[in-house]
This record gives sequence, structure tokens and C-alpha cells, in this order.
Amino acid sequence: MIDSPGLCRELRCLVCKSTSHWHIFTPIGGIVVESEIVEDCSSRDPLLGIDSLDSSSGVKSDEYLDLQLRVFRLTFLLTIFAVGIAGFFLGIQASASLFVGALSGIFYFRLLARGVGRLGTSSKIVGKVQLLVPVLLVLVSSRFPQLDLIPALLGFLLYKPALIIEFLSMP
Amino acid sequence: MDSITTAASVVAAGLAVGLGAIGPGIGQGSAAQGAVEGIARQPEAEGKIRGTLLLSFAFMESLTIYGLVVALVLLFANPFAG
Repeated sequence: MIDSPGLCRELRCLVCKSTSHWHIFTPIGGIVVESEIVEDCSSRDPLLGIDSLDSSSGVKSDEYLDLQLRVFRLTFLLTIFAVGIAGFFLGIQASASLFVGALSGIFYFRLLARGVGRLGTSSKIVGKVQLLVPVLLVLVSSRFPQLDLIPALLGFLLYKPALIIEFLSMP
Repeated sequence: MDSITTAASVVAAGLAVGLGAIGPGIGQGSAAQGAVEGIARQPEAEGKIRGTLLLSFAFMESLTIYGLVVALVLLFANPFAG
């Protein structure tokens, strides 16, 4: 449906959300001509999509994604183990703080991986946005009495054993 | 918290972040330079180089985080505050 003689665009995202169709209606000599443009949306970077890391460069680097997924999996396992141990020995508050810290550690690592993935393609430097995560964690832990600072910081550092294990298992 | 403790905490927080960020900053810069050069020379090894760079960055940046945490604890949860 065209309400004006000007340019009318209709955006239709397909099922996979990786491509979108643009229908452009252009009036040429009293006749409205419809042309269709298929645009690849994979270059658009959703905020935290793992698959979006290297799509901007168009370079296939499955090893990098596999490494991230392995580290995330290992960190989740360590988090579950540590939260269980802390809940059993130290109580629910310490285990909740540990869990919050571990989640923020995973988020920090995700942001760092995103920055490294963009290095050399769409950015010349690795961003420092990820350093805001421990800052916010300490601020939140000091503001809310439901969270303990030390368990939260220990939880934040839970990604490091996963990194060490991953580093040692590298060929 | 008396004024001497407050002043010392603020100075110590600044030193902890500032001095703690020098080494990792230099290290990250040289690591990124080497990685980008390596990717430019061997594009087929990009995944491996990026993975190693990510692990190196995570290890290096944790030093900055230690200093940052010490500074934040001194500023917002000071154990020396009476």
C-alpha cells in the first residue's frame, strides 16, 4: 500500500533474521515501479550474539567461537560446583553473591571476547567497556546488604580457572 | 573516618589503578600488535590467533582488575574506616 508518491520502504525480516527484503516503490513516469533489494543483515551486530563476532569481517573462524563456548561451558560448570559448595558450607547469602559474581564474570568475558573479535576488522583497539563490569559489581555489592563483597569477587574470578584449564588443554 | 584515612585511601586508590594499569596496558598493546600482524600474514590461522589473544588478554586484564578492585574497596567499602 502506497500512501505517498515518494519512496516507500517495507522491511520484511525472514525467518532466520539474517537477511531482509526491502521493497522500494519508485514513481517513474506515472507508473510505480517496485524493486526488491535483498540485504544481508548478518553484518549488523546484535549486542551480545556469539555468532555476530566475526560476521563483520566475513571471515570464518570457528575455532574462536568454539574456544569461547568451551570457556563458557567450563565456567558454568565451575559456577554450579562453587555455588553448591558455598550454599552447603557458607549459607544462601554467600552462594547468591557467588552466583551474581560468576554471572558478571561471564558477562565480562563475553564483552572481552567481543572486543577481541572486533580487533583488526571494525575496531583498531580493544574496548575497555568490560572493565565497567567489576566496577558495577563492587558498587552493587557495597550498596546492597543482601550481597557480600568477597564471595561476589571470588565468583567474578571463576572464569579464570576455566581459562587456565582451557589454556593447559590447548595443543 | 578521619580525614587522614580518607586522604590516604583516595591516594592509594589512585595509585592502585594507575600503577596497576601500566603493565597490562603495555602488554596488551604489544600482544594486539603481534596478533594483528600474525592475522595479516596468516589469515587462515585467524581463529587460533584470536583465541590465544583472548586468553592472553583475559590473563593480562585481570591484573588491572585486581588494582581496580583494591581501589574500589578502598573507596566504597573501606576496611580502615572507623
